Parts: sequence; C-alpha cells; structure tokens
Amino acid sequence: MIQTRNLTKRYGSFTAVDTVNLNIPAGEIYGFLGPNGAGKTSTIMMLLGIVKPTAGEIRLFDEPYSSKRLDLRRRIGMVPEKHPVGMWTWMTAGEYLQMFAELFSLEEANRRIDHLLERVGLAEVKNKKFSEFSRGMLQKLSFVRALLHDPDILFLDEPISGLDPFGVKQIRDLILEENREGRTIFISSHILSEMEKVCQRVAIIFGGKLMAEDQMKSLLTTLAKDREIHVDLEELPAELIAKVKKLKFVQDAIGAEKTLIVKVPKTGDYRKELSKYLIDQNLVPLSIQEKSLSLEEAFVTITKENINLFAGIGGEK
Amino acid sequence: MNQRAHATSVLAKRRILETLISPGYYVAQTIGLVLAYLLVAGFVRAVDSSGFNYTLNQAYELIGRSLVGAFGATFVEKLFSEGPFLFTLYIAFLPVLLYLAVSSVFRFGLEKKVGALELLTYGPADGTSYFLAALIKDILMTAIYLVVLLLFLFIAGLLNNLILGPSFYYSLVILFFLSIAIYAYGIFASSLTDNSASAIAVFLGLILFFIIIMMGSFTVVSGYVRNLASVLAWIIKWISPLFYWDLALRFVEMGNWGMYFIGVALLLLLSVVVLFISHLTIKTRGVRA
Amino acid sequence: MKVLRISAALLLLLCAGVLFADVPVREEQFIYSILAFNGKDYAGTFARKDADTVYLVADVDNFLTVRNVFVYFWPITQDWKTDTSALNIPFEGTLELSGREAEAQMLGMIPYTYYNIRGEYELNWKVAKEAEAEAAWQHYQELMDAYWQSVSAYYEKRALYEKMLNELTVTITKLRDAGNDVTALIDTLKELKAPPEPQYPTEYIVPPVPIQKAFILNLPVGEYQIRFFTQDGKIMEGSERRIVVFEKRRAEAIGLEVIPGDKWTRPVESKTPSSVLYIDGSTDLYIRPFYQQEYNDLFYEKMRKNDAKGNPNLMKWVRIQQVPRARVEVTRQAAETRMVLEEPFYVEQAKGAALGYQIVPFDPEGKHKDREPSLQAFHIPVSKDQRVIRLRVQDKEGQYLPSSERQIRVITPSRIGIVSLILAACPLIAMIIVMVRRSRRYTS
Repeated sequence: MIQTRNLTKRYGSFTAVDTVNLNIPAGEIYGFLGPNGAGKTSTIMMLLGIVKPTAGEIRLFDEPYSSKRLDLRRRIGMVPEKHPVGMWTWMTAGEYLQMFAELFSLEEANRRIDHLLERVGLAEVKNKKFSEFSRGMLQKLSFVRALLHDPDILFLDEPISGLDPFGVKQIRDLILEENREGRTIFISSHILSEMEKVCQRVAIIFGGKLMAEDQMKSLLTTLAKDREIHVDLEELPAELIAKVKKLKFVQDAIGAEKTLIVKVPKTGDYRKELSKYLIDQNLVPLSIQEKSLSLEEAFVTITKENINLFAGIGGEK
Repeated sequence: MNQRAHATSVLAKRRILETLISPGYYVAQTIGLVLAYLLVAGFVRAVDSSGFNYTLNQAYELIGRSLVGAFGATFVEKLFSEGPFLFTLYIAFLPVLLYLAVSSVFRFGLEKKVGALELLTYGPADGTSYFLAALIKDILMTAIYLVVLLLFLFIAGLLNNLILGPSFYYSLVILFFLSIAIYAYGIFASSLTDNSASAIAVFLGLILFFIIIMMGSFTVVSGYVRNLASVLAWIIKWISPLFYWDLALRFVEMGNWGMYFIGVALLLLLSVVVLFISHLTIKTRGVRA
Repeated sequence: MKVLRISAALLLLLCAGVLFADVPVREEQFIYSILAFNGKDYAGTFARKDADTVYLVADVDNFLTVRNVFVYFWPITQDWKTDTSALNIPFEGTLELSGREAEAQMLGMIPYTYYNIRGEYELNWKVAKEAEAEAAWQHYQELMDAYWQSVSAYYEKRALYEKMLNELTVTITKLRDAGNDVTALIDTLKELKAPPEPQYPTEYIVPPVPIQKAFILNLPVGEYQIRFFTQDGKIMEGSERRIVVFEKRRAEAIGLEVIPGDKWTRPVESKTPSSVLYIDGSTDLYIRPFYQQEYNDLFYEKMRKNDAKGNPNLMKWVRIQQVPRARVEVTRQAAETRMVLEEPFYVEQAKGAALGYQIVPFDPEGKHKDREPSLQAFHIPVSKDQRVIRLRVQDKEGQYLPSSERQIRVITPSRIGIVSLILAACPLIAMIIVMVRRSRRYTS
C-alpha cells in the first residue's frame, strides 16, 4: 500500500530524512516512532505530497505518487497533531465538515457527516461553534474530517498528544475500529505506551535514518530486558547490597530506605532463591514483589540516550 | 470542473461568508462612508457666489493647502474641478481597501503558521486555490463597497444638487482594477514570508515604496528629491500598479479611450503576472511555515 | 540721566538692527535675461547661476541676452530678483547652441523689436529682425511723430476756439445787458465747434519696443545646450545651460472667466473642460469666455519664472485671449434656451454711508455719460431656485466652440447631515442584523 525507496529530504545542508525505505501492506496499523526532531513529520509530509522529496521514490496503491496525483490524494486522510489554533472559529462543526465534504465533492454529504459525528459521539454538537470544543472533541472532529471521504489510508500525527486518559482511550478505540474496517493506518508518535496498544508493526527513526522496523511483540520483548525484585525488610544492613550483588543471578542491586531492589534477567523466576539467601542472612523479608520494567516508565519518551537500545532490533532494511 | 477551480470556489464561498458575518468589513464601510459624508458636507460649506473656495472650510483649507504645497495649485484645481466626488472617492475607498488587503495578508500568514493552509492541502486544495479564493473574496467585497459608495455619493449629490462627473466614473473603474493589483501584491508578500508580521511588513513596505516613488516624481519640490524619485520611478514604474493607474487617467484626460482601456488591461496584466509569480513561489516554498 | 542715556543707546541699536535686518544680500552674477513668448505675450524672466535649465515654448521667437547683474532673494515674495539699477553689464559675444543637429551652431546677437497689432483672435505678435526691425521702429516713430504733431495743432486750435468762445460770450453778455438784439451772435456761438481731438494711433495693441540686440531662439521641441562665448572667443565660465523646448499639447479649448456680482474684482476661472461650477446662488454671474492652450505645468511655470515650482506630471490650461464677438447659449432647467450677448456694465457704489455696490447695465447716453464701462461681459442671472444652468459658447460665425460646455449648479444645502449619517450607518445596521441571525444558529 505504502512504499518508499531511498526517500530523502534535505533542507540546505541539514538532512531531515535520510534514505528511508518503507513497505507497509494494506490493512496494517503501522507505528512510526522516534524522538522529537527525528524526521517523522518530514516523512509524513512527503508521503502526503505536501513536501517534495529531495530524492527517492514514493509509491501509494502500487502507483508512483506525487502531489499532482489528486486521484491518489483523494484516497488519503490526515489527522494532524493539532487542529489549527484560532482558525474557522466562526464555523459550526457541521459547517466545517460541510466545507471539506464540498472540497471532495461528496454526494449525500450531510448523511455522511451525521453518521460520522454519531460514531464519535459529537452528533449533539453539530451546530455548535467548534471554537468552543475541548481538545479531545477537536481531535475527534479532526478524525471525522479525515474520514469524510472514506480514505484507504489514514495518517495520524501524534494523535493522542495532549489528551486526557479518557480522550486517549476514545482515540485508541477509533483507530482500532477503523482498522477493523480495512483502513491502513500510519501513526507517528513518540509515546511508545500507546503505540504498544494499537500498532502491529513499528519503525524507529532517529536523525532522519530508519534505525529499525519490527513487529510490536518482538519489539516489546527486546525492550523489556530487565526485571526488578523489590524486597521490604525490617532493616537493611549496609553490607547486604554488596553481598547480594555477588549472587549469580543478580545484575544489580540498590537500597531504598528499607527496601532492597534487585535487578534480575527478564527470563526466570529468582524470588525463591533471593528469599532463601536473605533468610540465610538472618533477615526477614516482609514482602517480596517482582516488577517488570514498565514500558511507560522507561519509554514514555524515547530519548536519544535510549535510541541505541533499539539499534540492534530488526536491523536496517 | 477543473479541481483547482472547484477548490477555489468552495474556499471562496467560505471566505465570503466569513467576511459577511464579521464586523470588520461593515466597520470599514462605515468609516469610509462617514469620511465621504464629511468631505461632501465640507465641500458644500466651502461654496460661495463664485464657486468652490477651500479657504471657507477649515478641513478643506488644511487639505487644500497641504495638497497645493505638495503637488501644486494645478493639481488641486483639477482634483476639485468637477466637485468633491473625485477626492472623496479616493479617501472613502481607503478604509475598505486597507482593511481587505491587510486582513487578507494577515490571515494568509496566520493560516500558514498555524497549519490551516496545510490542513486544506491534505485534500484537493492547494496553495494557489487558497489564495485565489482570498482574492475572489476581496474582489467581490470591493465591488460591493464601490456600489454602496456610488449609491451613497449619488444620493448625497441629489440632496445638494451635486453631480458625479465623468472623471469620477473613470476613476471608479480604474480604482477597482488598481485594488486587484494591490491584493495581488498582498498575496505575493504572503507567499514570500512565513508569518503574518513579516507578510504585512513586506506588503506595506512595497505599497509605501510605490506610493513614495509616485508622489516623489509628482511633487512640486524641486531638485534632488524629485530627480531621485524620477530616476527610481523610471525603473519601478513597470511593476508599480500606481503607474498604470496614472497612465490610464492621463489618457482619459486626453479623451483617448483606446489607451485608457489599454491602461486598465495593463493593470490587470500586472495583477496576473504577480499572481503567477506568487503561484510559483508557493509551489516552491510549500504551504508549511 | 544715565538710565536715559543707556535706554537711548539701546533704542538706537534696535533701530539700526531693524533697519539693516531686512536688507537682502546681493550677489553679482552672470545671468541669462530671457524674454519668452508664453502663448499670449512676451514676459521677462532670468536664469541665475544656480538655474541649470531654461524653458522655452517651441516654434516662436524667444530672446536671450547675457549680462552681469546683482541678484538677491526677496523673502517677502519668496523669489529671486535682479537689481539692474545698481549693476547691469550686458555682454556681447556668440552663443553656441547644440542639441538636435550633429554640429553646434554659433548664434550672433541680432537687432530686433516686437509688437502686437490690433486684431481678433490670431496671435498678433510680430517680431521684426534686423532691417525689418529698423523699418518697424521707424514706422512707429513716424506714426507717433504725426500724432504728436496733430496733438500740437489741436492744442493750438483749441486755444483759438476757446479764445473765440470767450470773446463771443463776453460780447453777447455786454450787448444783452445793453438791451441789444444778440440773436445773430448766439447763432454764431452755436455754430462754433470745438476742434476734434486727434485719435491716438490704434494700429498697435503693444507698440514696438526700442530696438535691442539679443540671441533669438526659435527652436522645435527638444532639449538643447547653450554656452556663451565672449568677443575674444573664450567660453564664459558658468554660462552652460540646458534648454528645454516644449509645445502645447492641446489648443483651442474654451475656458470661462467667472465674475460674481458680489466680488467683481475677484474673478475665478473655469478651465477644465469637464468642470462644473458650483455656486450658492446668492448673486448673478458675469462671464467671459477665452481661448486656452494646454502646457506642461512645470515647464510653463518655469518658462514664466525660472525659479517657480510646478508639477512635471500635470498639464495645465493657460488663458490666451478672450473669444471675440462670442455668443453664449444659456439653457435653464432643460427648458428655455436663449442667447446672451456681451454687454457693458457699470459698477455703481452704494450711496451714503452704506457699503457695497451694484452692477448695472452701462448707460452711455444717460447716467453713465462721459464714463467708461467697468466691465464687458455676458450676464447670467442666477437665483436659488434654478438648479442647473447650462452654457455653451458660439464664435462670431455661430459655430459652437469645442469644450465650451459648462454647467452651473446652485448648491442646495439640505439636511445632508441627518440623511447622510443614516445612510453611512447602514452597514452597521446590516452588521447587527447579520450577527443576530448568525448567533441564533449556534446551540448553547
């Protein structure tokens, strides 16, 4: 459905996107991950035909693509990160959507608008000025606008950025629903936790280069290298940490007040061994808990420091 | 219908509707009409047994002396030879012209910056259909205002036994086409820049530059100022809408109708060329800020 | 006493200051003295050392001389003047003229005179050069000599007549007092006629000026350069000038001189062919149509006075001469049309302590006997109920003169304020209606 070959974009001497090769089949939810400034937006802009590539080729629907291909552009929908601030504030939601429906020369536009608004729960505010909409409502309205012309591909740029948890869930449900109807969805984000819940395959971009591309399950397995065991003790002797570090299965150990935190490999269960060791040291474990390294804690923002962790995943294609 | 034309028409309808439901346009019209009323009323009060004498009315005395000082007595004599309406037309037109031109430039820059223009281009619209829609809106709003102004002045004339002379009508037509050229330069300034402030600065700078060159070569001040302005004018004139405006008015004074319409056509041609350059610029620079 | 002395000294100083403060600084300069034809007559100006250009009308004789004079700036009228009473040294030499031709011409000074002969609307100025100038001047001298001789003869005859009249009157009185019949003597007295006064020569409107020498420039349209060579063949430093020769753009249009009845000494001119004359209708108008020609504003002003300002991008109409034996067609309210002829009028001052005057038809046989008319014009009666008066001028053959149509409209100040302000507020009313209707669309 979406293919790029050696896609490149340079702004003067700065290379924003460097020979990116993508191959996204139809019906997939594809995640495009990377920190801010990695080249995600530039890539999307080229895929949308808004920005002209410096080099490389784009094919959509198995046809060469450029901004002049209106017939192909009509099969794409785009939800930007933010609705343009302060624009069209005089319009109601219905009028706003009507404008886009007219742009696409849709037949029975009103029926389509009503149906989509109903789906996202905005039917009652059709005649409300959308300048009065909340962030979540605006995002949903943006979705409706992007879906008006029934596109085959939906591009989403940071779709949940700035939303509250309820809004995040609504958008997530919408994405999954649209995918079930057969739409290919391309999501660009730096929030791995949400991507985990919806994406089937992800690519990681950093410094304009595609660092890795893999199925989501493989990616999670790679990321979740470490686990922690938290042991609450009556008291934490100073020499205990050094002793625990010497254990074979222990990668690292630290103390936090009366809690011993021990890092262990992600495979295997080492609670019994640790517990036995502590008892042998005449210590009484009050509680012992295993914590998998939370994806949100580690990867809520993919920083540049962490990017090397991904360098070995999947490899560049 | 061609896709760009369709997108232009859809966007133009929205821009027109937006202008018609916003207070700015009506306020600008009211300011223009009030200025017109003041100028016509002042003229009536400055008429005595021998004709129009600007010293009889304070406001007109100030205007008259300033114009005489800058452009000479002949200029003032010609300006008021058919009554107050020629001068009134230019002054009363300014508020609406400025409002439409500056607001469009501001809007273009703002929409580019916040991504509204980009949003439109996700669909079948592009930068060119966007600015053509704005242009159509400005042209229509200008035409509406000129009709309103014409009616207002006609009624004011009827009430006071004043008539709209031939120079007024020629100037009305040429003013309409002059405004199109000015809007075109506004679009050009917006296509060159990334935000409203820069766009307005470029646009106003360009227009002021054209005005200063025109006025400088027109002034009665002798010596260096006029000589410099004349040299600059000779270079700039080909891209200045004011040059073609002046050309058309000179021909109409001579009764040379063919050349008057050629002057109008050249003004239109200038607009088309500037719009075409804007189209190329926006195509090259893109719609993102 | 000391205080008095100091005060007197200060007063003296003040007076001296005042006395000397306004004396303009005079500078000796080389100038070109120009006698230029301006479309209707010859008028003089000069180009001082800072004036790099001289402006002349094309295809007419213009006269240039070079001289050393004092030049000063007169702040009261804000212009430059010459003081030829203190210094006026004319130079003899040749003038090099270059421009249109490949080679420069050398011009010598030519004796000339100019004059204007009586006629109707043709440009009656004549320029005579060299031998013709001598002949014209001679003719004029002879004409004037003959006139003055006839004036002398007249005075002699007049004296004789008055003497005879006096003697006869005395004789009649004496004889009548003595009771004699004086009928025959009275008849003789009645037959005694005063000698006719000699008529001043009417051949000229402007008689020939005394013969002078100048460089005569009669050039086609274009730009030229001149410089002056002294008699020893050297270029006079600072004598280089540019000459701009221009011509009228349009001619034979008609302008109107408009004399309001309440300000007859302050006429105005309606020159622009499409102009409309708006008046308040408080007084009648007296008009005089004239021929006018169109010149470049800057060029024409500078041709008349080299230091003048003008607008290079404008053309102005210049009054040339009154249309002779014209007739004015007057149409009122699209109804009656009548022809108005030029008539003489007299301005009668109000009698007694009252100020003001009135303009009345001139009555040479009656109350205005032995007086001259105050003005000759076309009388256009005006009243406030006449909204539009249309004028059109015919020449002596009855042909309508082009661009002579004018409208006179009497202003009718009305309640423009109220009506116009209501109209001006209409956009705001429309705005309120639109915004109210729009707000009803939005759900709360």
